[in-house]
Amino acid sequence: MAMFGKKGAELVREAKQTLATTDQFRPFNKDLFEQVVKETEEHYGHLQERMSQIRVNDSTEGGDPNFVGGCAQHRSVLRNKRCLLAYVNARMSKIKHLRWDLGAVLPDDITGNLSATERTFFQGYSDALSSYMAEINLDLTVDSTPPKDPYVQIRVIGNLGEVLLDDQETSLLPHSIHFMTRTEAEPLVMQGLLEIYQG
Amino acid sequence: MDDAGPSARRGGNSIPVDDATGAYGASGFVDSLDGLGTEEVASDVVLLRRVWQNEKCAPEILPYDASLVERVREQVQLMEENIEAFATEIKDDLMLSLYRMDVNRTLFLLRSYLRARLSKIERHPIHIIDNQELWDRLSEQEQEYTNKYCEVLAKHFEQTVLIRLPEQYGSMLKQTSLASEENDMITQPQLNTFVCCRSRGAIGSFQLDDKGDESVDLMTNDLYILRYKPIRRLLETDQIELI
Repeated sequence: MAMFGKKGAELVREAKQTLATTDQFRPFNKDLFEQVVKETEEHYGHLQERMSQIRVNDSTEGGDPNFVGGCAQHRSVLRNKRCLLAYVNARMSKIKHLRWDLGAVLPDDITGNLSATERTFFQGYSDALSSYMAEINLDLTVDSTPPKDPYVQIRVIGNLGEVLLDDQETSLLPHSIHFMTRTEAEPLVMQGLLEIYQG
Repeated sequence: MDDAGPSARRGGNSIPVDDATGAYGASGFVDSLDGLGTEEVASDVVLLRRVWQNEKCAPEILPYDASLVERVREQVQLMEENIEAFATEIKDDLMLSLYRMDVNRTLFLLRSYLRARLSKIERHPIHIIDNQELWDRLSEQEQEYTNKYCEVLAKHFEQTVLIRLPEQYGSMLKQTSLASEENDMITQPQLNTFVCCRSRGAIGSFQLDDKGDESVDLMTNDLYILRYKPIRRLLETDQIELI
């Protein structure tokens, strides 16, 4: 067996990198994750072996070595559990941010980097948040920075065509620059159809 | 509110520039919306600003101010209707954009307040569910959200990690069922953290620990950096505000 807890530490480093990477979403490191799970099973196997050898009323000097060994294995299982949960938790907080930044539907390149259970989690989280916002009838994902100006200058990226803005029909041609209210612009910016234009 | 005076007066015919005066400036704009019954908007917005600020600074979740949120939302709606009417009647783009800015600022406060609460719920969901006092501080919708959130959270941990571990180690709440009797894996907010606060009245000498070794004289409008735990009761009774 490799050094106790080494794989777990690697997994935590991976978690840290996941949090630090901002330009993309790191894929779920299945290899490393499985290795830690396997190591945990081995530790547990050794622990049971040790436990079965512990004799009650053993008066060997310096305590029963089986007991001491068992403790080490037990602590290793606990440590690995922490590492595994920490990794999953770190990714989970990233996934929650995706819901706030990108909305309820994720682009394919990100979905591909999530594990199957993570996709289920995203769906569940997204549903919970959506139904909360529907209950209070207020979209909380817009307006994330204090508004300095009710209007923003935007540039059209996607093809929008005729859009109803402020009860007036406006034609948003690609690459054209417009002035519109922040509340109307933000959902479209989130969908990647517009960008805030700083002239 | 002594300091509200000058900027509120100024607000009527000039534009408040920075965010700090935004809420006070609001009263000025509202005054000029003649006789629209929006007199109390100002005070509610100021209240919301304080509630929001406290929520942002406190390490634990604070009681939900349902009636305040309700009032603010009604007033925002009223103002939006007024603005619409104003827009069709009078074509004054500058005034219109000022009114809009005012509404947007209020809405930002409201959204940010609710967001801050959600993020606290997500940080310590199980601690909140287990603790009746904290649970009662949530709105009905927040309680529902907390339950749903816990459900997906537990399911995700269960399916990803816990199911793969040996049975005695597979609990989300306990490190291991072999040794721990209590749930020892629930994170709690750090209540002993330091917060900046302002005293809203002359409270006088206030004890910071049980033994009475440490005490502080709280004077009106003075700023202090104190541990959160001893002063949380003062916050509840609105004698101080966090900044």
